[in-house]
Amino acid sequence: MDQLLHLFPGVGSFFIDEPIVAFSRIVLIVFGMVLAYYGFKRTLEPLIMVPMGLGMIAINSGVLFLDGGVTGNIILNPLISDPSSLINVMQVNFLQPIYNFTFSNGLVACLVFMGIGAMSDISFLLMRPWACIIVAIFAEMGTFATLVIGLKFGLAPGEAAAVATIGGADGPMVLFTSLMLAKDLFVPISIIAYLYLSLTYVGYPYLVKLLIPAKYRGIETDFDMGNVSKRKKFVSILVINTVLCLLLPVAAPLIMSFFIGMAIKEAEIEPLHALLENTILYGGTFFLGLLLGVLCDARTILNPKVGILVVLGIVALTISALGAILGGWILYHVTKKKFNPVIAIAGVSCMPTTAKIAQKIAMEENPYCMIMPLAMGSSISGLIVSAIAAGVFISTIGMLTP
Amino acid sequence: MNSIAYACMAYGLTALISLAVVGLIVIINKLMGGNSPDGDELEAD
Repeated sequence: MDQLLHLFPGVGSFFIDEPIVAFSRIVLIVFGMVLAYYGFKRTLEPLIMVPMGLGMIAINSGVLFLDGGVTGNIILNPLISDPSSLINVMQVNFLQPIYNFTFSNGLVACLVFMGIGAMSDISFLLMRPWACIIVAIFAEMGTFATLVIGLKFGLAPGEAAAVATIGGADGPMVLFTSLMLAKDLFVPISIIAYLYLSLTYVGYPYLVKLLIPAKYRGIETDFDMGNVSKRKKFVSILVINTVLCLLLPVAAPLIMSFFIGMAIKEAEIEPLHALLENTILYGGTFFLGLLLGVLCDARTILNPKVGILVVLGIVALTISALGAILGGWILYHVTKKKFNPVIAIAGVSCMPTTAKIAQKIAMEENPYCMIMPLAMGSSISGLIVSAIAAGVFISTIGMLTP
Repeated sequence: MNSIAYACMAYGLTALISLAVVGLIVIINKLMGGNSPDGDELEAD
């Protein structure tokens, strides 16, 4: 029997592991299959969910017996810190070099941000900058409310701040902040964030339709469609990047990554633009999903704080959506009914999902209602405000009494 | 600093910096003229 267990260690280890660990492995294998399948069905974001699901299955199935009879894998060990052990492990675990050189230092989040920047057009923000940024500020409400709720739930300040950034609805931002502030919880926080962000496309339309009556959803909103000159866009990118890096040096890697993508797009450096928009963005997203999956071993979900994080993630995104819609209503009244409050949902960033949601809802009521440019402007503003909030957290979290 | 005071301070600071960024954008818009209808003025430089 013992020989049989060692012949098929993936199965045999189920009988060696503690029952709770073995059971959690089975749950995660099934969960990985569910994520990958719903990614395949496009219910969840396929770019993240397919590699994440397969990674989750592999790390929980591919368990074998290592030296000393302990169970482990030859994919990745995130807990190695001793340099000489790390060199040895890198020659065995095939994803270890990618984890240590791109993931644990936040580089992968920056790479994804470069790609997002290369896809973004700042001219949407330049059309009605005040409206876009005000909506985005309201849409950040979930971040700060969740921080307080997280602390009440007993999380440490860094942990509460890290999970609160889910309210900003930017996956790379959540990853970066949790790596900086809550290294022990960055895996569950990032997985929860990406899972919920995939679900916004399903949930947010109900919330918007619930809080904005049909007769307001098709309101046409004025904005200047005149093309913004490339010179103006490029100078804006340079100035905003400089100011944000000066004010928030701890978030400078993320800020620079986003704006360098934008700058290369506006400078029309085609080879670099194609590199960032395709290879870097999709390569970064693929390894992000795969590594999050393989980091999700059974012991990760056995952390008692995971249940709290699951609740706080949805709370953050819900309060952010409510804040955004509140901002939309305020702008609707301030502009004397000339602002479609549906645009505001795009302030919850999650680019470009929320902007698409806004346009789709508006067109259901009025087929001629074009709000996509303003919604994209709000989305870009949401991303900038989220980066600022992350920078503020990382810089000032020490002021918070534990 | 307690949690609510900190959250208010952090939110306020985030809003302030965001508004400053927009202020800069508006200033740049003013300094460089309005949006040109045909878009690109790069060639003119």
